[in-house]
Amino acid sequence: MKRKNRFKIIAASVMLLGGMVFLVVAMTRSTSMRHFTPASLVLDGSSADNQRIQVDGLIAAGSSQWDAANFVLTFAIQDRETDATVNVIYKDQLKPDNFTDGGSVFVEGEYDASQNLVVATKLMTKCASKYDGAESAVPTDETSYNSSE
Amino acid sequence: MTAEIGQAAIFLSVLSCLWAIAFLSVGLRTRNPHAIQSGRNAVIATFILISISTGALIYGFVTDDFSMRYVVEVSSAAQPLFYKITALWGRMSGSLLFWLWILTVVGAIVVWQSHQRNKNTQDTLADHALIPIVIVQLFFTVLVTGLIEGIYNPLARLPDGQVAADGQGMNPLLQTPLMAIHPPTLYLGWISLTVPFAFAVGALTSGRVGSEWILRSRRWTLFSWIILTIGITLGGNWAYRELGWGGYWAWDPVENASFMPWLLGTAYLHSVMIQEKRNMLKLWNILLITLAFQFTLLGTFITRSGIIASVHAFAQSDIGPYFLGFIFVSTAGVIGLVIYRWKRLKSANQLESLLSRESAFILNNWLLVGLTLIILWGTLWPVISEAINGEKSSVPESFFNKVVIIPGILLLFLTGAGPIISWKKITANNFRRLFVFPLLVGLVGGALTWGFLALIGHAFPLYSVLCSFAAVFVLVAICAEFYRGAKLRAKRQETSLLNGLNLLIQRNKRRYGGYIIHIGIVILYIGIMGSKGYFLLESKSLTMGDSMEVGKFQLTMKDSFQEEYANYRRTTVVFDVAKDGKQIGSMEAARHFYYKVGQGEQDTIESAIRHFGVNDLYIALGNIPPDIKTGGVVNVQGYHNPLVGVVWIGIAVMVLGGIVAIAEKSDRSQDS
Repeated sequence: MKRKNRFKIIAASVMLLGGMVFLVVAMTRSTSMRHFTPASLVLDGSSADNQRIQVDGLIAAGSSQWDAANFVLTFAIQDRETDATVNVIYKDQLKPDNFTDGGSVFVEGEYDASQNLVVATKLMTKCASKYDGAESAVPTDETSYNSSE
Repeated sequence: MTAEIGQAAIFLSVLSCLWAIAFLSVGLRTRNPHAIQSGRNAVIATFILISISTGALIYGFVTDDFSMRYVVEVSSAAQPLFYKITALWGRMSGSLLFWLWILTVVGAIVVWQSHQRNKNTQDTLADHALIPIVIVQLFFTVLVTGLIEGIYNPLARLPDGQVAADGQGMNPLLQTPLMAIHPPTLYLGWISLTVPFAFAVGALTSGRVGSEWILRSRRWTLFSWIILTIGITLGGNWAYRELGWGGYWAWDPVENASFMPWLLGTAYLHSVMIQEKRNMLKLWNILLITLAFQFTLLGTFITRSGIIASVHAFAQSDIGPYFLGFIFVSTAGVIGLVIYRWKRLKSANQLESLLSRESAFILNNWLLVGLTLIILWGTLWPVISEAINGEKSSVPESFFNKVVIIPGILLLFLTGAGPIISWKKITANNFRRLFVFPLLVGLVGGALTWGFLALIGHAFPLYSVLCSFAAVFVLVAICAEFYRGAKLRAKRQETSLLNGLNLLIQRNKRRYGGYIIHIGIVILYIGIMGSKGYFLLESKSLTMGDSMEVGKFQLTMKDSFQEEYANYRRTTVVFDVAKDGKQIGSMEAARHFYYKVGQGEQDTIESAIRHFGVNDLYIALGNIPPDIKTGGVVNVQGYHNPLVGVVWIGIAVMVLGGIVAIAEKSDRSQDS
């Protein structure tokens, strides 16, 4: 084994590895979104102003308005534990299946701290009681059994 | 009564697994053929016992036994018989039992194969490999006994002799034939990977760490690869047609969990060739197949433990720690064995040049394993970020799209460069003869793509141009390989070129099957490039008679009607479709309202898809108001998905290539 050859191989490997690590770190930094609940937004919302974030909670009862003619869904997400809420506007997308008061909801979008508003680009719902992980390739478990009697 | 028999069979199979492990271990150590035979018989016994349990559960479904907890949760009296049976894997407990059952089938086949192979003499490698298979079986058997907290026995009855009036029924989204076969296909692919892993462990325990274990498990690996390819595709195709968001892949944790073992399996299929040809990478191959196997379990852990907050993982369960524990213990076991056999795992040869087929293979492995780790990183980022700075974060779909594109294009290039570069070290002659022409045609291909995209109004699309360049290069390089080989055969046998091609493939199915897979990969990439990069989405609210434009197409909402089915009501909306102002027909998009299933109601999108060659026009509807015919507003999304048909064609070609390659019966490679 020639030493020069070994050096070349190590150098190439380091470059490849370095490139991949750089790519991953750079992309993670530029796309990573912090995860909030309505309660944590109340506490720390100003730090998330104009950032893309994720919020998960429940659809606040009576809060949702669906303007079918203009394709605009507005509603509030209620915290699972406290009574904190955050408003959401979701435009130009179909109203998702199972969008019902009290259902679990998960949104992704840009946060406007002054209005406590998330301009959502992605919205996922889950039926409140029954089917877990409806879209799952591998249907999920039995945790809902006790609650759904 | 049947449920109790099924439960008893599960408990008995704990014993048969322990029996098999004990007798195989002792028998192999003391070279006692009777003990070994007894161990093998125990493997067959486990298969029979678990078949009885699985049969008992299916019996419960078919007879609507609503005293059984699992039957109540996933079935209902109104559910069609087909979906009563597929409810077997509708939720976790049943899925685990089903997984275990396939694993016992696999174990029985391994016993049978080794019996066929060596009727009189012993087959120590297969017997060694049986032990890890049985250990995995034991793990799953213990999980379904119901003794583990958080997982109940799928055959358990409701507490206190309760009998439910009806079951809750299976989610209507899952009540499509495709969705019914999608999970078991994935399971089968994952579980088949247990066999090459087990042979790797068997190689370590028996000390026979040459290429025998690889060749003996080669068809299992390939089988797993083919089935996983199909399974992943079924999921993507189902999502495309059923979920109404116009796409087939979204880098969801569940999708990633199915994709990562595929990537590792693909890496392994390549790296073993280096061991066979050049006696290198012995250690790497063992570690790689171990990793691939562990990722099949890790996938289950990620999707079931509730550690990832995505829509799929909303439901949590207590299963996570058991899987993680098993992964740690079994990996530690393999590492221990590797250290024990350290001396025998040293490579006989070393890399001679960076530009050689060996290097191409190794680069392929780095990229595939690297991609897997990147996807794992993205999938686990919520957990990682919380550990790093105490704040939970996630990465969106775009992270994955951006981060895989460069390694992805490099990999594409390698699918053409790998097969034509010479072993040991590239020579000037090799480069001139095999590389120059495909490279030049590739450049033309890239330039044409650039020109075409510029013509339809896209600025310089770097990745599309690179991707087209690589795709054309690979296509030409591989086709030239086929052509040269076929011409040679035809000349030697004095027959036609087509016959020559047939002879060529027949004589070396493994190699040329692989090349066919590479052609499929090229086609797949072109499809992904078109459909991911250049789709068009228009959203509009329409009332009856209104129109909208989607690219060159005009959609006019013309009619609506309702139909009643067994457990749902279908509301259809009819659109007139025109292209460039010329009427070309109509499309029917719909929504299904499931109101008879259990207590839940569900409204699902039934997209309309019309194929124009390989391009799709795709319509998804929002909720349909009752007054649709008299001015009610419907939300319509129209997609134009270019080249999406090419995606499915590419995958079909890949599967075809896999089938050609798996047809190679010989244990020995004929690669030249």
